[in-house]
Amino acid sequence: MSSGKLFDVTLFIMEALSDYYDEIFDFKGQWDMPSRCGLRIIDRPTGRKTIIVTELYLDNPGSSVTSAGRSLARQICEAKGIDLNDAIYIECNPDMNSKLSFYDEEYFEVRFNGPAPEYRRLDKDELQELFQQ
Amino acid sequence: MKLKLIYPKWEKLPGQTTFNLPPHGPVAFAAALPEYVDVSFTDENVEAIDFDDECDLVAISMMLSTQVKRGWEIADCFRCRGKKVIFGGIAVMLHAEDTLAHADSVFLGEAEGRMEEVLNDFSRGELKHLYNYMMRPPDIALVGVARRDLYKKELYNHKGVQMVDLFHASRGCRFSCYPCAVTYLGGRAFRPRPMDKVIEELSTIDNNRLFIVDNSLAQNKEWEKELFRAMEPFKKKWISHTIEDDPEILNLAARAGCWYVYQAVYDTSDYIKERIKRYHDHGLGVEGTVLLGLDNQTEDDIKRLIDFLLEVDLDLAEFTVLTPFPQTKAYNDMLRQGRIFDFDWNHYNAGQVVFTPRNMSADRLQELYESAWTTFYGDESQEAKMFRLFCNVVMREMNEGTYRPRNRELINKSFGMDVVRKIV
Repeated sequence: MSSGKLFDVTLFIMEALSDYYDEIFDFKGQWDMPSRCGLRIIDRPTGRKTIIVTELYLDNPGSSVTSAGRSLARQICEAKGIDLNDAIYIECNPDMNSKLSFYDEEYFEVRFNGPAPEYRRLDKDELQELFQQ
Repeated sequence: MKLKLIYPKWEKLPGQTTFNLPPHGPVAFAAALPEYVDVSFTDENVEAIDFDDECDLVAISMMLSTQVKRGWEIADCFRCRGKKVIFGGIAVMLHAEDTLAHADSVFLGEAEGRMEEVLNDFSRGELKHLYNYMMRPPDIALVGVARRDLYKKELYNHKGVQMVDLFHASRGCRFSCYPCAVTYLGGRAFRPRPMDKVIEELSTIDNNRLFIVDNSLAQNKEWEKELFRAMEPFKKKWISHTIEDDPEILNLAARAGCWYVYQAVYDTSDYIKERIKRYHDHGLGVEGTVLLGLDNQTEDDIKRLIDFLLEVDLDLAEFTVLTPFPQTKAYNDMLRQGRIFDFDWNHYNAGQVVFTPRNMSADRLQELYESAWTTFYGDESQEAKMFRLFCNVVMREMNEGTYRPRNRELINKSFGMDVVRKIV
């Protein structure tokens, strides 16, 4: 007998660590849903800025940073006076200290050039370089 | 005003026993309609749609991703005939942007207290393309008694045995599980219905077997106890998703008529084994829900899990493959990692692999999924196991004097179709 509900397992009560961001950014998610993410903006020596948005999971009542994608990037740039074309935009899944591998830390550079965003996972060296600056 | 309410069909998974349960979403929605609306309901899983039926407005309700493409086709057919079509339901919320292209109107969110506005707009010829009530749930006390009178009951009957009726006592979920979209759909706040409303609805259901479709009853222990105490006098037998693993609650659940529960089996730990035993010790059956294809599973893990299921004396098991439904963390992660290779929503049925697993190929996961079904049901078929569970409930009902014999007039029918008997 199929219930229509496919899975209800592994319950998590977690908080994203505040080390990952400098401020909480409130934004309009998909369908204008009130949403929140962690935000850190790093000034690079080249003059370009790096925008890092961190998923807050249970502390985010609305759209995820990935679902909001381009719209979130636009809202941040408008709020902070940044030209997205002159910035590096990164989505971060913070380490949630979970036993489950899918809550590990991950960083993705996102490019919004085409109709769908393009993602590229940052490797250890790139992360080291990013945070050493 | 005549409103034609439609629930699109979807293709059932091959090789599995299919039971068509009366869908809950459409009749819960119908309860939110003003009294002046004359509603007819067609569940395409059990009957054909009459596209030439007279009606003012067509409403299409969709629960599953595997329904959306068919729902869009149906809408296109009606719109070609000049009918206005509005969509709603949880799958519409997951696939809203694509659905807008096939709709005169899309309703996002929960309908209670909002349909008067929508129908007034329709009557004035000003139906909006989008009604967006996402994250703005109505007062839960507004949820009315589901319009089960709209069902053609004989279509939810298998050889004289009436299928369970679906029922809900709460909305929302305080958990946020990796592959689940419930918090996006119903919010992260657990919203129990007022107990007097629950009791009122239970008293209207002319079926002594129910499926409580709440996401999880294990949301709040005190509420759960109150619910089970309120249910006990009705002497109904019921199935539900997870309940709290607490001796007092298990005892109350048994007294309230719990028949069997769905329990996720995600590892081979003693905790799971003992939990299943505790359910059984209280006379509750257990259907294990087993998700295959998580990133932390290897082939050996899956094989061990299947062996474990045979050891722990589950009454039934339901296997699914991880499916990255939109608006879940699974979807976001796999999208970014470029691991989703199939975006055909008809394939999002939790039985077809649409992504590249981390520790094996997609084909290998598909084989293991199929092997899980055949291995678990190798010695005793799914039908035989279900029959055993069914006999348990019949015995309990007979002891309590609530047993209702099969409807002999429908003994040669299965979900409205003639039964073809194999005579050897």
